[in-house]
Amino acid sequence: MYSPSRWVRFAVLAVSAVALTRCASTDIHSYLERGADLGRYHTYAWGPADAMSTGDPRLDGNPFFAERLQAAVEKQLATRGFEKTSATPGLVLHYHASIAQRVDAYSADLKYGYCNECRPYVYDAGTIVIDLVDAHSSKLVWRGWAEDRFEGAIDNQQLMEKQIDNAVARILQRLPPRL
Amino acid sequence: MRRLGRLVAVAFGALAVTGCATMNVSSHVRSGIDFAQYRTYGWGPADALPTGDPRLDKNLFFQDHMLGAVEKQLAARGFEMAAIGTPDLLIHYHASIDRRIDTNRADQAHGYCYEADCQQPEVVNYEAGTLVLDFVDARTNRVIWRGWAQDSLEGVLENQDRMARQINEAVARMLKQLPPRL
Repeated sequence: MYSPSRWVRFAVLAVSAVALTRCASTDIHSYLERGADLGRYHTYAWGPADAMSTGDPRLDGNPFFAERLQAAVEKQLATRGFEKTSATPGLVLHYHASIAQRVDAYSADLKYGYCNECRPYVYDAGTIVIDLVDAHSSKLVWRGWAEDRFEGAIDNQQLMEKQIDNAVARILQRLPPRL
Repeated sequence: MRRLGRLVAVAFGALAVTGCATMNVSSHVRSGIDFAQYRTYGWGPADALPTGDPRLDKNLFFQDHMLGAVEKQLAARGFEMAAIGTPDLLIHYHASIDRRIDTNRADQAHGYCYEADCQQPEVVNYEAGTLVLDFVDARTNRVIWRGWAQDSLEGVLENQDRMARQINEAVARMLKQLPPRL
């Protein structure tokens, strides 16, 4: 019934589906300024709020999103020994959140590992970027970001809060250790 | 059994989607706020953000209808427009239009597709309208509630009656999400 090539194709699909679904959740990355030593910094303060649009009217100027994100960052930084200050900080923090529509050409593929009717799938991709800037030199020291499907997350406050907490924790996990 | 459960879920989902067109309504609320403390409201300064559509920018017909719909719904919920002095709540709204894309909608909404649709995946461009309502505590100047409604605006903006109906439905469904005042 099945020709060998069909089996091979199926196997390849299945393997790639596993690989894809594994990282389909949250995609986390970061950059570190070469030679930067985060151990030098002990205090931080929030920089001026982001004036850029998020690309989604539900999120633009949404204090529930902004406050949750800031609280999550503050909690994570506290456990890493950074102290929030209103005096002169060592680091200035910025964040930016954005949402964009993406088209996935073969969605059934990603979900089930195969598809009978492969069809394009449209979804909302959300990105959260956190920047740590040296307060003295105003140079970017570290940038971390998370990308994820934000499907339905904004419409459900609890889910959004969980997703923010999770993304922030995983972004800041990538901070280099301070010895 | 599980299959049956799934079928029921799909049926309900389809009902929910078709029953109220495709309008998506939701809200965020500040926790630990007692909404019974708010009785009067006033309109905050008008929104300076562009709507993303010249037909809607500074469109007084739209604006009048929007304000009227909110005032009617709030009156029904026991809020009063502040005649004098500072109101308890300041209300802001923002309307915007984006071009968005979607694949065969029937498919996503109902979880299945008819033969013809399935073989010809179709990507559709449409205009998505979003209405956002913000309730601000006038004393603390903090947003305590944000509600929104999103829907396709195909053929709506061009038709004044349809626009009015769409605004009414959006506002009524958004304000239904307000926390109860005991």
